[in-house]
Parts: sequence; C-alpha cells; structure tokens
Amino acid sequence: MLRLHHRKARAILAALAPAMLAPVPETRAGVINPNISIVGQPFTRWTDDAGDPALKRAVLDAGETEIVFDDYLNPYARGFFTLAFGAEGAEVEEGFFTLLRGLPGGLALKGGKYRAGFGKLNPVHPHAYPFAERFRVLAAYLPGDEAFNETGAQLSARLPVPGDWAVTASADWLKGDSFRIAREFDPLSITDPLVADPDADRPGEPRPGVLGRLSAFAPIGDRSGLELGLSAVQGTNNVAAATRTTVMGGDVKLKYWTSPNAYLLVQGEVVRLDRDEAGWDEPAAAYTKGALKTSGGYLYADYNFRIRYNLGASYERFQEPTPDKISHQAFGAYVGLALLEETTAFRLDWNRFMPGTPPGLTTSPDAVNPVTLRVIYSMGPHKAHQF
Amino acid sequence: MYLRSFVMTALAAALLLPGTAAAKVRVAASLNDLASIASSVGGDQVEVFSIARPTADAHRVEALPSYMVKVSRAQIYLKVGLGLDQWADPIIDGSRNARLVLVDCSRGVHLLEVPTGRVDASMGDIHPNGNPHYWLDPRNGGVMAGTIAEALARVDPAHAAQYRERAEAFAKEADATWQRTREQAAALPTRVVFTYHRSWSYLADAFGLEVAGTAEPVPGIPPTARHLANLVSIAKSRHVRIFLQEPYFSSDAGKFLAREAGVRTAVVAPSCDAPTAGSYLAHFGSVMKAMTSAAGKS
Repeated sequence: MLRLHHRKARAILAALAPAMLAPVPETRAGVINPNISIVGQPFTRWTDDAGDPALKRAVLDAGETEIVFDDYLNPYARGFFTLAFGAEGAEVEEGFFTLLRGLPGGLALKGGKYRAGFGKLNPVHPHAYPFAERFRVLAAYLPGDEAFNETGAQLSARLPVPGDWAVTASADWLKGDSFRIAREFDPLSITDPLVADPDADRPGEPRPGVLGRLSAFAPIGDRSGLELGLSAVQGTNNVAAATRTTVMGGDVKLKYWTSPNAYLLVQGEVVRLDRDEAGWDEPAAAYTKGALKTSGGYLYADYNFRIRYNLGASYERFQEPTPDKISHQAFGAYVGLALLEETTAFRLDWNRFMPGTPPGLTTSPDAVNPVTLRVIYSMGPHKAHQF
Repeated sequence: MYLRSFVMTALAAALLLPGTAAAKVRVAASLNDLASIASSVGGDQVEVFSIARPTADAHRVEALPSYMVKVSRAQIYLKVGLGLDQWADPIIDGSRNARLVLVDCSRGVHLLEVPTGRVDASMGDIHPNGNPHYWLDPRNGGVMAGTIAEALARVDPAHAAQYRERAEAFAKEADATWQRTREQAAALPTRVVFTYHRSWSYLADAFGLEVAGTAEPVPGIPPTARHLANLVSIAKSRHVRIFLQEPYFSSDAGKFLAREAGVRTAVVAPSCDAPTAGSYLAHFGSVMKAMTSAAGKS
C-alpha cells in the first residue's frame, strides 16, 4: 500500500515537475505577511560608580524592544524593517531594501537606514552580542549615539579570487547626520552662530559621508573560518567650518569549532579617529580648524559550548577623544545561558573600567565595576547566524 | 591543406573542449543526502557539493561567506524545505546568483506529523508544514530523485532523458533498499524504540518501528528529569531496548536511560557520510547495523 502511494507520488510529480521547481515559501502565511519577530531586552544593572545616581543600587530597566519585519520584496530583493521602543520613545532603527541579485557583476545594492558596516560589531544588533554591554571604544569613536546608524546607499561586490575565499568590497554613500557635533555654549564665542543656535548647523544642507570596507573570509575546515577586514569612514562634523571626522579600523574574527557543539570565537578591532576640531576665532568671526588624533581597540574571546552556554573575557584600551587624550582601559568577563533554546537567553556581564590619569593629577580616578544581567527573549522566526 | 585541417581542428577543439568541461551542472545541496541522490541521478554530468556536515545539527548551520562563494558558482540548489534549512536562505541570497534554480526537495514526498491545528512555540521548535526529516525513508528518496531529475533536465536539456532514466533506476534501487532494510528491522529483538529528536519518524514509519517516546519533551527542548523518568516507566512497560540518537546531542539522556532501564544508545548521524552516489542508500544499512548492535548489547 505504502509502495503504491510512493509510486503514485512519483508519477504525479513527473507530470507536475516543471511547476514545482520554483522557490516556494516555507509557510502559506508568508505569501501575504512578512516575517515578524519581537526581541525584548530587559536588564538589571549595579555599579559602584560614585558618579552614577544609582550608586550601589540594582536598577531595573525595560531596555529596548525591537520589532523586526523582513521578507522578500520580489525574487531579487529583500526588505528589512526594525522599530525600536525604549525609554526615549519609538524610532525606526533600520528600514532598508537589498537588491540581492540581478545586477551585473554580482553587485548588490542596499538602500535606506541601516547600521553601517564599519568593523564586525557595529552592524550587529546588541541582542546578538555574547556580552551585555557595547565596547566604550566604539561608542567614543564611531559617529552616532547608540550605534553608527545612517541613512544611505551601499554598493557591494564580491571580488573574484581562487578557492572558497570570500573577498567583499563595499562602498556607502551616507547622509552623514550622525557625524554632526553640536557646538557647546561658550561665553567667549558670542558671535559663533552655531553657539547661539546649535540646531542651526545649516539645517537641510547635506553633509554626505562615505564609508568603504574590504573584508576577506578564509574557511578553516568545514565550519570554522577567519575573517579580516579594513574599514574607513569620513563625514563632516561641522558644515560651517567644513571640519571632517575620519575613522579607520582593522578587524579580525576567528571562529573555530572544537567539537560539533563547541566553538571558540576571538574577535578584535583597532580603530583610529582623526577628527578636525572646529574652533571659533572671535575677533575674526571665523571658524578655525584643529586636529585630534586618537586610537584604541578591543579584543574578546568567547567560548560557546553545549549549544546553550557561553563564557568569555574582553579587554579594551583607548585614548579619550579630547585634547588630553587620556588613556582608559577596561577588562570584562561574562557568562551566558540560553534557558531552553535561543529564544530566551541570560547574559551576566562584569566590567572593570579603569579611567586614565587626567593631566595635573598623580593618581587615576577610582575604577568602576558595573555588573549587568540582561534577559533577551524573542518571538518569531529563528534566524540563521551569519559569521 | 594540412595547415587548414590543423587550424580547423584546433578551432573546433577550442570551441568544444571548454564547452564540454563547462557542461557539468554544478549542484549545491543543503545535506549530503540530497547531494548523494543528485550524484546518482546526474552521473558524470554533474558536480555536487553539500553544506551541512552529517555530524552537525542540520537545524543550526552558520551562513559562512565561503558557502556563498560556492553557491555563486552553482546552477541548482537543493533545499530540504519545510523550515529545516532556513539557513540556506542567507547563503542563497549572499551568493548573488540570479540564475540559480532553487529546488524544494520536499515536493511530492509523503509527509508525516503535519500539524492540523494552531501551531506556536509552546509546542517547541515545531515545523508547521510537517516533519522535515523525510529523506530518512528511502521511498521518499525515490520521489526526491524524480524532483532532482526534472531540475537537472531543465538546466541541461541535452541530458534530460539520461537524468530521468537514472532517477527511475534510483527509485527502484530505493524500493529494494526499503524492502531489504525492512526485513533487517523485522529481525530486531524489539521494534519499539526511543529517539532523541523527531528526526527518526520517517525511518520508523518506513521500517515498521514504533517510536515510544523522544528524549526531548517537545522538539528542540532539552530533556527534563521528569520527562526522562516517564521514559524509564515506558521502557520498562514496553520493553524498549534501543535509543536512537544523533552524534551532536548530549549523551546524558542516553546514559540515564541505560542506567535506569537498560536501554542502549545507537549513535547514528541522520545524514549519510558523503555527497557521492550510493552513500544515501548505504546509510540505511549503517543505521540498521548500529541498531542491531545496540539491541545485541542489552
């Protein structure tokens, strides 16, 4: 009976085969509705930082909640849309399309608002980090408040190389809003038009930025790999003074599977900030241009085992992007647990931030030790993890 | 005269030889099993590779850029479908291959465990369109061979008849494998088994085995102490002696069942060893050998 069933199936299949070769949606609902996922990230935090209003008190925070919509727009393109809800309200964190195929030379085109592809960590949403907090060096050096997130267009190409290496080059043209540095009030610069009205930084005038990235991925065995990348971005931080911010970085990521269910991940970035500083010459009533050059970087190692557990350590060191270039460093350690599967994860993160010694002082400020416990829960389709 | 012949021959060779080399259809597959069937159906006309390793969980594959590069050179991608290899989507998208023919190999196969009511995550990592491990029934392998033959015929019409002939031959061989393995299963001391995940439902259905329970209380959720205690009761009352488990799951549940109920674990990959012709059908013999060995130990 069963054999008859399968033979019939083969006969029917042969008759219908041409129609069956086309890609099919995984679920019928997907024909009409996009994939919808919701990611919540509540956390509790404790710190011994004397400057923190919540000194030595555990603070509960709902964190940021993301609603993600994504799906194919047509056979050639996908759309991706993220709404973020936090203490400061709702915003469109990302909203872009990607033309995946059909362009000549294997080019791909992306357009809209997206996390810029600088380095390995910035393009990743924080809920996918193995630790609970973003590195300070990236917060200090990359444009933008919570992430380097811009409106722009990106053209990328995979360069032809022998073997299974993947060498990808991309170029972005960015709107550049996140490069803007608001002028602070200075009583000696009363004629500086941007001090009087910091928001009047030539509103509506474009301040386009550019971003370039070159990355090379080399597979190691079947599942492991090494990726090296170079990124550079430039934009205008003050349109009136025509001062620019340039950030260059190099990154490395090694992911090595030690068994079918365990891998070691080592990732690091070095970043150099080269920023023109706009000053104001009161007698001449004109802007002046100074230069600030600082550098820093981070490195972390994460060991993931038995699918649901991970532990790791991190280190970062960077010069503060101020004229004094005070050198700070931080150590971190963290553990993570996916409760049953990846839809509910806990991340406990301890960090020891050791501020550098300011000029004129002989001792450094006290180190601070924030501890964060973050819960990440998600509803919706599971996503394959990108290297 | 000789010079003209030589030039004509060289010209013909220059035109034809690269064409001959390029005539091989490049086939990418999510699993070795699909790739092995494609090798059987495609013969010398195809070059086949697969992405997921048989010793790694096919639900969890990372979309490495090197996979995208490989798929960018392929003409056909064979997908398991039914939500198992969702990781194939970023690989296919990342390949930027506009001429890739995407083939859902679940088309036309006999599906098991298709939910009839509402499906949500409280049921675990459930697949709304049915259990996706259908390749573990050799009769479904015959159906898949037909699907793959049609894809190859579309990409390479010159060899369409050969692909269809080989698919027919493969289906007969799959039926013979089903008969032979079913007889081997009938000789097992018990045909009531436990499995870790619901990967083996098709194998059980094909060979007359009964899955009395799974180590996972629901798909994708690790075993709990209470659930394992229930399995121990079932093992004692139903005389379950074999626990089929994939190599990438924790061995803790198997050790517990062995200690408490004398159930022996047969660790077997749910996919065949290689993407080569013959590997897919040979795998059923390997599974049965492992089960026979486990049953013999108890």
